[in-house]
Amino acid sequence: MKTVVDKVGSRFEWMSRDEITEFQGAALRTSVARAARSPHYSAKFDELGIDPNDIRLTKDITRLPFTTKEDLRLSYPDKMLTVDREQVVRLHTSSGTTGKPTAIMHTQQDIDCWAELMARCLAMTGATSQDVFQNMSGYGMFTGGLGLHYGAERLGMLVIPAGPGQTARQIMLIRDFGVTCIHSTPSYFMHVAEKMIQDGDDPKPLGIERAFCGAEPYTEELRAKLQDLYGCRVYNSYGLSEMMGPGVAFECTYQDGMHVWEDAYLVEIIDPETLEPVKEGAVGELVMTTLRREAMPIIRYRTRDLTSILGGECRCGRKHARMARFVGRSDDMLIVGGVNVFPSQIEEVIMRNDWLGGNYVIQLAKQGALDKMTVKVEIAQAVFDGSLDNIRTKRDELANQVKDQVGFTVNVEVVEPGSLPASEGKAKRVMDER
Amino acid sequence: MYNEVRVFVENKPGKLSQVSDILGSAGVDIINLELADDGQFGVFKILTAEPDKAKQALSAAGMTTAFSKVAIIEIADQPGGLVRLADALRDANIGLTDAYGCILERGKRAIFVVKGENLEAIESTARAAGLKVLDSLE
Repeated sequence: MKTVVDKVGSRFEWMSRDEITEFQGAALRTSVARAARSPHYSAKFDELGIDPNDIRLTKDITRLPFTTKEDLRLSYPDKMLTVDREQVVRLHTSSGTTGKPTAIMHTQQDIDCWAELMARCLAMTGATSQDVFQNMSGYGMFTGGLGLHYGAERLGMLVIPAGPGQTARQIMLIRDFGVTCIHSTPSYFMHVAEKMIQDGDDPKPLGIERAFCGAEPYTEELRAKLQDLYGCRVYNSYGLSEMMGPGVAFECTYQDGMHVWEDAYLVEIIDPETLEPVKEGAVGELVMTTLRREAMPIIRYRTRDLTSILGGECRCGRKHARMARFVGRSDDMLIVGGVNVFPSQIEEVIMRNDWLGGNYVIQLAKQGALDKMTVKVEIAQAVFDGSLDNIRTKRDELANQVKDQVGFTVNVEVVEPGSLPASEGKAKRVMDER
Repeated sequence: MYNEVRVFVENKPGKLSQVSDILGSAGVDIINLELADDGQFGVFKILTAEPDKAKQALSAAGMTTAFSKVAIIEIADQPGGLVRLADALRDANIGLTDAYGCILERGKRAIFVVKGENLEAIESTARAAGLKVLDSLE
């Protein structure tokens, strides 16, 4: 009879440091050998004269090349695939720097492993099959949807795939079905509380016990405020679609850093300028290598997320390394309402519109708890023919084009030519007022 | 037909000052000024005896301008003065997209400025109704 322990891959969860290191060495070797079967990595290894057989220990990782978002872009749609298409059962895409997204493919084994890791995270916070779980994350291509869904189902929770928005319905479902756990971006979770308070209601009696919040960075202060408003515990969650999605790292009941599952990932923290490892405990860029991925193993992926590994041991007794709250990015990617946006995606859309001048600004602000993005563009002088209808139509069309690109509704403002700040040298396109 | 001067502006305080300052400094006399607002942006519609001079002054100052063709019909400034034109346009089944008027001489002369899909039809209808169509505002 399968117990909850087996379902959540507990034998890995409680490994000692020595067991982890030993496991990682063997798993790395397998992962690299597997990666070498893909067009991208086989070419890369050839180019650099790397023999996968030379990779034996975790420290051999430094012999291997980094993988960047650009590599993923160039490998689109399937040059990093190591199996036949037929074995692929799932595709997830994520925002690319240009119009094309990055594509991550999964075999059934990958999906099962993802569910196992995710269930492990949820169980780690004390959730069990007796809990009722509402997933307020976007589904579809967003890994936050199906990722949490499969993990929660595996743990045996009653899963409500509510998806995002429709706040009144969220609240109704939470009340009517006795929801005890939720998954959401912290900003949307805050928005729900604010809306309830505005309506003269109180979030506490909802009875939520655990909130799993991620997809965007947030402070200890915001976590504390949410815990206070709902009377629940808020657990930080980290993931990225390139490494699978949510379930990569999660807080335990001590809420003191996020345990990253070292049986599934080899973690490095590097200086984004020199690409060398940082001193122990220093902040740097998180680099990750998959150890259990079958369809698309990824070697030394530059996440561009900045964090540090916490020293010492966690009181929970687990030996998997803990990552501190993320402090920023080493690139220009933005996170708006939990969605990744590259300014270059928007620039591409603007440049396609010849009724506009080349100058633009992306303005980010808070509307209550939620993120709001406004794109300000300059009309090209010669285009104005006296009519506003024309401008209004073009503006609405531009808003639709941007929405198609980034996946959510943005505000577009058309301003006079020359009214946006002109910059000397590198243009400052983003005004983040949040 | 006449050139109305249009200026594209963002909807924020100071735009009227900017426009009137530029025109005043250029020695341009404004006969009429209307504002059409569309939320975040809008357009000023300026009627002057010297549309070329006005447009040039505004463009030189960095504003976004365009000419818009309109029909100017002279009507009597008295109660019922608009009726002859309005009835003529109705009888000819002509639709308008913009209309405003202003007095040139109190109690005597006024002008009615209109825009529609077919300016020629508007002008010929006005003339047929015995009204004067203006090509100049000197």
